[in-house]
Amino acid sequence: MNWEFLVLATVLIPVLGSFTVPLAGLLSRPLRNAWAVLLGLATTACAMALIPTALADTPHVFTHAIGFGLDVIFVVDGLSVFVASVSSFISTLIIIYSLGYIKEYDYQQEYFMMVVLFLGGMMGLVFSANLLLMYVFWEITAICSWRLVGFFRDREIVLKADKTFLTTFGGAVFMLLGFVMVYMRTGTFNLLEMRGFPLRGWEILFITMGIFAKSATLPFHTWLPDAGVAPTPVTALLHAAVLVKIGVYAFARIFNFTFAVPMDWQFYLMLLGLISAIVSACAALMETNIKRLLAYSTISQIGYIFMGLAAFNVIGITGGLLFILMHGLAKAGLFLAAGVIEHGTGSKDITKMGGLMKHMPLTGVAFLLCIFSIIGIPPFGGFFSKLMVIQGVIQSNHLVIACLAIFTAILTTIYLLRLFTLVFLGEPRDASIHAHHEGTPVMVWVVVASAALSLAAGFLVKYPMDLVGVALTDILGNPTVQGILGQ
Amino acid sequence: MNCCSMNILLLPIVIPLAAGVLTLLLPRALKGVKELLALVATGATLYYAWVLFQAGEDVRLLVPWTSFGIDFDLYAPHFARFILLAAAGFQILLTLYSTSFMSGKWRSKEFFAYLLITAGMTNGAVLSNNFIVLLFFWESLLVTLYGMISIGHKGAHPTATKAFIISGAADFLMFLGILLAWKISGTFTMSEIHLDSHGLGAAAFVLMSLGAMAKAGAMPFHTWIPDAALDAPLPFMAYLPAALEKLLGIYMLGRISLEFFTIHMNSPLSIFLMSLGAITIVFPVLMALVQKDYKRLLSFHAISQVGYMILGIGTGSAIGIAGGLFHMLNHAMYKCTLFLSGGSVEKQTGTTDLSKLGGLFKAMPITALCFWVAALSISGVPPFNGFVSKEMVFHGAWETGHPIFAVAAWLGAIFTFASFLKLGHSSYFGKRSLDMPTQKPRESGLAMLIPMLVIAGGCILFGVKSEIPLKHFIEPILAGKPVVEGPMEFWHHAYDINWIVGVSMGCLLIAFLLHLYGFAKSGGKAHLASEPVHNLPVAHKLYDWAEADVFDMYNWFFNKTIRGSAAAIYVLIDRGIDALYERFMIWVGQLGIGRLKEAHNGVYANYLAWVIGGFVLVAWVLVSAAAR
Repeated sequence: MNWEFLVLATVLIPVLGSFTVPLAGLLSRPLRNAWAVLLGLATTACAMALIPTALADTPHVFTHAIGFGLDVIFVVDGLSVFVASVSSFISTLIIIYSLGYIKEYDYQQEYFMMVVLFLGGMMGLVFSANLLLMYVFWEITAICSWRLVGFFRDREIVLKADKTFLTTFGGAVFMLLGFVMVYMRTGTFNLLEMRGFPLRGWEILFITMGIFAKSATLPFHTWLPDAGVAPTPVTALLHAAVLVKIGVYAFARIFNFTFAVPMDWQFYLMLLGLISAIVSACAALMETNIKRLLAYSTISQIGYIFMGLAAFNVIGITGGLLFILMHGLAKAGLFLAAGVIEHGTGSKDITKMGGLMKHMPLTGVAFLLCIFSIIGIPPFGGFFSKLMVIQGVIQSNHLVIACLAIFTAILTTIYLLRLFTLVFLGEPRDASIHAHHEGTPVMVWVVVASAALSLAAGFLVKYPMDLVGVALTDILGNPTVQGILGQ
Repeated sequence: MNCCSMNILLLPIVIPLAAGVLTLLLPRALKGVKELLALVATGATLYYAWVLFQAGEDVRLLVPWTSFGIDFDLYAPHFARFILLAAAGFQILLTLYSTSFMSGKWRSKEFFAYLLITAGMTNGAVLSNNFIVLLFFWESLLVTLYGMISIGHKGAHPTATKAFIISGAADFLMFLGILLAWKISGTFTMSEIHLDSHGLGAAAFVLMSLGAMAKAGAMPFHTWIPDAALDAPLPFMAYLPAALEKLLGIYMLGRISLEFFTIHMNSPLSIFLMSLGAITIVFPVLMALVQKDYKRLLSFHAISQVGYMILGIGTGSAIGIAGGLFHMLNHAMYKCTLFLSGGSVEKQTGTTDLSKLGGLFKAMPITALCFWVAALSISGVPPFNGFVSKEMVFHGAWETGHPIFAVAAWLGAIFTFASFLKLGHSSYFGKRSLDMPTQKPRESGLAMLIPMLVIAGGCILFGVKSEIPLKHFIEPILAGKPVVEGPMEFWHHAYDINWIVGVSMGCLLIAFLLHLYGFAKSGGKAHLASEPVHNLPVAHKLYDWAEADVFDMYNWFFNKTIRGSAAAIYVLIDRGIDALYERFMIWVGQLGIGRLKEAHNGVYANYLAWVIGGFVLVAWVLVSAAAR
């Protein structure tokens, strides 16, 4: 199959396929479930089938002119294929897990449709090399996240869904303003034509607002913990696979790959990442709701990704991109395990839990392994990504930021072990909480698979690194990155 | 480099790791298989470590791993081969001991798996020649550390968490130090790194050496060790804090101070190391003195003795460094024996509380004998091994011209001997306590006695014939290093009579008198012999605070300071920002909407005015644009 067919399939299978999911649901429920999983698998397969194309020397560009600046331009290079493969793979894991989790709730038709459409929006965004097209897919994911966070129809929950939508949408409006300002100076929305174009402060600020709002970075982060009211697989999807990784991807595509960013802004962006990482790590230490705690942990780890990308050197960007994979695997595992816990105990309050190891040994061990990966303990994959991010920060001469990043890693150790201890060890603290069983086998095995993959990603770090390396050779065409290397 | 030498570097890592993973997968019902597997694996490891040591050449294995200079690079210079051999020796002896001690204990399958995985990771850390590979193995040890402590008993997990957080924080310091060294040198290849210790280099040195010393259990990273003594399974204490962690931590400190950097006598970094060493000697030994539990008393000594090693290496003199490294080996031997004797006592009597022990010499003569050999070694009594290495450290400390460090070392010697007199007296001599849970203790089985006898024999051999370890293990490490001036024939002078030996013997005498005085004062209760020191006016208060963990960094830093600051940041920044969204924005929105609502009052003229106003505005813009 040629690459043009594959890239179109990767985007169109989930986007168009999502609308057929409810139709399948009209026929039968098992058929619908199988169909949704099949769409996810097909998307993943197509995205991964593009890896050989990406490993080739030059980026492949698919262009279909429409006019009005809305030309369809899809770029197949290391960066897009890496993110697409990771996202679609983790999304598919989560869809499989959903089969067990969601089966007793209403609105399943909408649920599966939205999840698949979400994946499609992400795929479209990742391959787009046109700012307007990116914005369109960006908002598709915003709508999906709004519906999925508000899956349970209680008023409180719907309000949180509105907060999610309004915050990310508000950021996106500023980002669109930034895009228009860039357009005024370049006359094009085609990213490939703008490589090396120097951005100005306001443009960076506006685009960053959109990115940070989507990636839940300080000061646009508080919607993410609130979005924990969503069903757990949705939360996992938001955290590990699609939503918050959109901002990260956009950062890499726009700032690292395309435009030239002035030195002082590189420092500000890194600083913002650091502040976000520290503040949310502190918040995670205080939280007692398992999903809110994990949400703050995500914000904190996303801060690391931004630190790495904002180092604007090869090691830092590699670390940041690798982090997407490592964090995605481990965080998906943690959230899905949290879903098993929530199902088993009917509670999210960690101060009431305790001693769950006895009832859910597999989930407990997988949870602990994922924690090790998030902290950055070898032999888990998280070690390498954190190592390279901090290495990149040090290479760009920001030693104080590196020290504080290490301090944040220690905070991470503290709050995640506190979480594990409170949930799984000791004696139950509340008589009303008693889990007599693990989750359904499918749910537990998806959790275990995430932990196992986190471990494997550490030993086999070479393979994702090769793909990231290709992404880097593409990014290296950017004068900002070259300039830093020349120093 | 041929294919066999490549394999032989991998074997000491892969064999125990594979056996460990296999042990985890074994079905629980299989009896005796895990023990056999562990013995075979550690035996094979020891064999290959010995072959490697004998080979006498610096073999290397270099396989590309991933980009940025991260290669899977193993290299075995003499220092690494020696540490590997020592570590492999402890691995098999502890495995043998555990086959008896752990039999029938809770989660013993996991214990063997962790023991083997720890062995593989330790050997990997010793052999690695790339800093990232080193970190990979070094930090992986955290996982098994957590596991091994938490399987002690059902309530052991807070100690496991404490150990993990303290060690993890120290590992992150080392991680930062390594990255700084990389920033200066541009490489991760350890054998190529020789740096100046100025500016950034000094920071790298301090961070890396803190990481190494924390692994060895130096202050202030030591506080989990006494807790683990009570909570973790006993062989764990002999295995990690007493033996492998000392070997690994001091090995790394040795390489940092001799190879990656060069420590000069009386340079600021030398003073830094010596001060930390002196503090680590004195305070824990004072804590050890007043302990009333066999294992907890030993654990404080496991900290205090690290001070001698750090002090020795910090002197920057050849004899001091050699003494520090020799002390590392000796300490691993006698402290291991001491913990194993404690395990033997625990297994046979059911307690390690000194007030419930006593008179065990008759019932357990071999355990008692091994205990006393090790106790005299740690106290620096001639002719045991501890005497030789401690004298070398005293000499080195005196050579620096700062008598305070030598005084601290001697002070430590007094209380070390005093506390071991108390420990030995109260458990093996005197009358048998009626509170002892098992009233008819017997001697332990061979699987537990053999490791003790072998190591205790080593303590005597390395003391009487100190030229063997010094010549074959220690001196080649120093050979060719800038700190060495002239020939290094330390053993020629090991038993010379000079005034430094005189002072040391004086210290031992003081300790003996102190014990006699305390014993008499407490009315013949040996376990209370330290009470006169404990009850000194100010000391008593300090002891109370120390027992209440007031000085414990984990308590005041990781718990209180970090929690307090986190709470403040959470409330002020995070909740503050959230209030902007939840309160301020909604208030602004309602305010704006309220005003606009007032415009909709249903009066026709009002809407007409809006339309005309808008028309005028548009016309004005168009006209003024046309006019321009």
